[in-house]
Amino acid sequence: MKHSILYFLYFVFLLSACNEPVQSPVMVNAKPLLYPDYTDVTVPATIAPLNFTLAAEKFDRIDVVVTGSQKGKLHLQSKEVIQFPLQDWKKLLADNKASDLKVVVSVKQQGKWKQYQPFAVHVSGYPIDYGLVYRLIAPGYEVYSKMGIYQRDLSSFEQKAIVENTLVPGTCVNCHAFNRNNPAQMNLHVRGANGATMLQVNGKMELYNTKTDSTISPCVYPYWHPSGQYIAYSVNQTRQAFHVVKHERIEVFDQASDVVVYDLRNNRLISCPQLKTEAFETFPVFSPDGKSLYFCSSKQQDIQSNYKRIKYSLCRIAFDAKTATFGNKVDTLISAAKTGKSISFPRPSFDGNYLMYTQSDYGNFSIWHREADLYLLKLADGTSRPLTEVNSNNTESFHDWSSNSHWFVFSSRRGDGLYTRLYIASIDGQGRVSKPFLLPQKDPRFYDATLFSYNIPEFVTAPVKVNANELEKKLLQKDRKKMYYAH
Amino acid sequence: MNKLLTYSEKGLSLLFGIVVWLFFTFFYSSHLHYQEQFQMFLFTSDYWSDLMSRPGGLADYIGTFLTQFYYYAWLGALIIACLLVLLQQQIYRITQEIRTEPLLYPLTFIPSLLFWSLLCDESYLLASLIAVHLILVAVQLCFYIRRPWFRIGYAAVVLLLLYWLAGGAFWIAALLFVLLEFACFNQFTRLQWTLFLLVVVACVVVPPFIAKQFLFYSLSRLWWGICYNRYPVISPIPLLVAWSSLILIPLLFRFVSVKSLKPNTTLIWFLLEVLVLAISGHWLMQRSVDWSKESVMAYDYSVRMEQWNKVIAMADRKTPDSPLSVACLNLALCQQGKLNDTMFRYFQNGPEGLLPGFQRDFTVPMIVGEIYYHLGFLNTSMRYAFEAMEAIPDYKKSSRAIKRMAEVNLLNGEYKVAEKYLRLLQHTLFYSRWATETLKCLGNETLIDRNPAWAQLRKYRITDDFLFSEQQKDQMLGLLFVHCKTNRIAYEYLIAYTLLSKDLTRFVQYFPLGKELGYSSIPVHYQEALLAFWAGSGRNPSEFPWPVSQAVGQQFTNYVRLSTAGGYAETQIRDLYSQTYWYYLQFRK
Repeated sequence: MKHSILYFLYFVFLLSACNEPVQSPVMVNAKPLLYPDYTDVTVPATIAPLNFTLAAEKFDRIDVVVTGSQKGKLHLQSKEVIQFPLQDWKKLLADNKASDLKVVVSVKQQGKWKQYQPFAVHVSGYPIDYGLVYRLIAPGYEVYSKMGIYQRDLSSFEQKAIVENTLVPGTCVNCHAFNRNNPAQMNLHVRGANGATMLQVNGKMELYNTKTDSTISPCVYPYWHPSGQYIAYSVNQTRQAFHVVKHERIEVFDQASDVVVYDLRNNRLISCPQLKTEAFETFPVFSPDGKSLYFCSSKQQDIQSNYKRIKYSLCRIAFDAKTATFGNKVDTLISAAKTGKSISFPRPSFDGNYLMYTQSDYGNFSIWHREADLYLLKLADGTSRPLTEVNSNNTESFHDWSSNSHWFVFSSRRGDGLYTRLYIASIDGQGRVSKPFLLPQKDPRFYDATLFSYNIPEFVTAPVKVNANELEKKLLQKDRKKMYYAH
Repeated sequence: MNKLLTYSEKGLSLLFGIVVWLFFTFFYSSHLHYQEQFQMFLFTSDYWSDLMSRPGGLADYIGTFLTQFYYYAWLGALIIACLLVLLQQQIYRITQEIRTEPLLYPLTFIPSLLFWSLLCDESYLLASLIAVHLILVAVQLCFYIRRPWFRIGYAAVVLLLLYWLAGGAFWIAALLFVLLEFACFNQFTRLQWTLFLLVVVACVVVPPFIAKQFLFYSLSRLWWGICYNRYPVISPIPLLVAWSSLILIPLLFRFVSVKSLKPNTTLIWFLLEVLVLAISGHWLMQRSVDWSKESVMAYDYSVRMEQWNKVIAMADRKTPDSPLSVACLNLALCQQGKLNDTMFRYFQNGPEGLLPGFQRDFTVPMIVGEIYYHLGFLNTSMRYAFEAMEAIPDYKKSSRAIKRMAEVNLLNGEYKVAEKYLRLLQHTLFYSRWATETLKCLGNETLIDRNPAWAQLRKYRITDDFLFSEQQKDQMLGLLFVHCKTNRIAYEYLIAYTLLSKDLTRFVQYFPLGKELGYSSIPVHYQEALLAFWAGSGRNPSEFPWPVSQAVGQQFTNYVRLSTAGGYAETQIRDLYSQTYWYYLQFRK
């Protein structure tokens, strides 16, 4: 009994040492400036804890109470950052699915408490995929240091490398792509002296040489046909140039580019005259029914003198998967001549309702364009609108849909103007888009310190399994399956 | 006599340390500065966990921690000297457990000499030496374990630990454990020997294979060590030689027996050994040092520190001949207002010696970026700094590059990115104060402009966009100068570029652009070029439109006379006119 009292007193002491009561707080008529900004965001019920801090002000303590509108409550206090216990957080979200969390933030400054207006976190009823696959790379110019393709479990903070370029020195890894977010069908490029394109289908890995005598370069920008029998690529002669003024850095151009489709069954690349014109064709993607191929196309221009006139339109051509043939006519869905802008990274939603794309003033490498924004094309009526709900005054570029088409992830430079970070937003049945939230990290200050950009985010429905030892062995063997071009 | 030998031993260690310190402080200091700039030790838990997540992590962590002190060469030299003496003392202690043999004492310096030689190669990192220290400490601790079974357990645990802490060199500990069991303890039963050897072999063979399952490194790197050399693929021979000495020296103490000699003879033998060691050491160092690299590094360091007079003094002592050192000299001459009058007094190797072309490595862009920075090509200087950092083969970051990137982002008004870099630098030792001071400038242009160099660069910075072209540097320089006609450096580089390219037509075209820069007279090399242009154009000398000094005019007349004479004239011209533009124009390829 004596011991129990002592333990109880000790427990009370510990509690009092950790959590101070928020006494007589001064009410502030504003919501707190969270870092990252998670106020009024919509999140999936399985998302990792939205840990945060207050960046704009110094404080002695921060007190946070999260109350579920259905049930459950979390109360945390900290001197620096709010880090929710993973299991408690998961339970709270699960208990309040398709409902709201009310978050009350109080801070203690110079011995006095003040309390901000509460804000909501909307817990969506739409599930999200297992995780994200992205490349981490420094936002550099021509030379690259350590980089890798990583997968992140969205329900926790766990990030695992799929492949890092330390595996085979001197290599660069990029262009990871999955068929409708299914990790069993994967494309990956490895560049460098030991470079290859890796295709892994249901655990079988094969390395390809994608350059043929009839194509201008190896294949890039992959996109799987929903049948899994084809992959659309572009072949691009790309070069870089560098701006001299502040706020501008890099320009990436194609001096020539065409679109091809790889037929996995017959190991051949196919194309058609409409996809191999003098114009620059790039960024091919299949429609979710597999009957169309979207791509971007720009008139050929002299790069040095007219690079600002390179503007890509959004086009479409029919594709017959049974006969591996293309239609005769190219439809221009959004004309650069009309908009005066340039389109890149078209991505149709898997439900067939939308096509999201990036629009910038010119060129196709929108990641280096501050004005680049996301746009949403409604395929049923052909209307297009800027996604003002998610756009910022900095770059928004690459994006990808979740398998149920109710979430999308995109990269943005809004954080510090250079290092891209990932944001996730939802879109409901009526096309309403929520305020995006930054991919949560265990320590919310993580993004300030990292020297990596998040590149090419892709949803995956399950963990990706790549045998790195097998990949290394095959890369070093230099034995590649050669793709052939079918004339 | 024993006392004398003991004092000699201690004195020898001290002397060795002093010699190492003197060498790195006064003769090889630029190598230390060079090393310091290609890493960025951060006092953060992330930095610790990043390095500790791979084999050799602790050696790498301690190595980079100590390397940051190379910022001051004397301090870096002191660290290396202490580490090399410590290595010698560790070997000595181990050998003492095998046999006390004062006459073999000089042999204990051999590993230190070999590692000294390795450290003269800028590719070898301090972690290679730290790893060996960690291994030898583990071996020394073994002496305190008297029970055989405990030693077997100790060997197993320590080998696994050492693999993670010290890296691929951990097998040295395994061999030393076996040697010590054999040479010192000699307690094992046959069963214990069998088990011990099995444990040792397993603990050496298995860890790299296990690591391979979790880490994205080739098996060979997991075997040889990730953090000992800056490059991922190297010849293992130099390291193998140094590592082997750590085993061979104790082995010698076990097998070489020295007959007892008279005290005087012992001392003479001792001194003879020292002499042989000193001569061998000198020979080894001569083969290990690279004075040409040291010279380029010295030029780079002085440019980095903006010690322009020091650069010129170095060139006056010995004319630089590599594109990088010539480029450093030209920048220093320009900064001191001497480029127009004196650049051809030194060796010039064409436009590449003015603005060397971009290379995908970590050394050239770092140096060339300095030139672009002072010219006012801020974006280009930042790009070069970034590229240099990204090209560092061991994927470390560079405090020098981060500092430059912070500066340029600050001057470009990219305050959030600048802040990111500055906050990182706040976690360093030697850049922290600068970073904290610079943080105050974020968003405060008045404060930025209080720094005269920054204010000037902000003025020089181009405002009308174009794409930088490596192939048209003269046009780039022209556009830079046209944007700000007080940018004397841009003008002089533009003119120097035409002179070095031997493009006198462009020189004459660009030359008048500088009339607003306030030169009291036409600079000497410009006069020389104008005379050469006029003579080459075949026009009447009496119509020569520019004022040149009588001395230059007279020299040119003599030069023309000699150069048309043929025969031995070329030698004579070199003797008399090798410091003129005419000589460069006519004879330099």
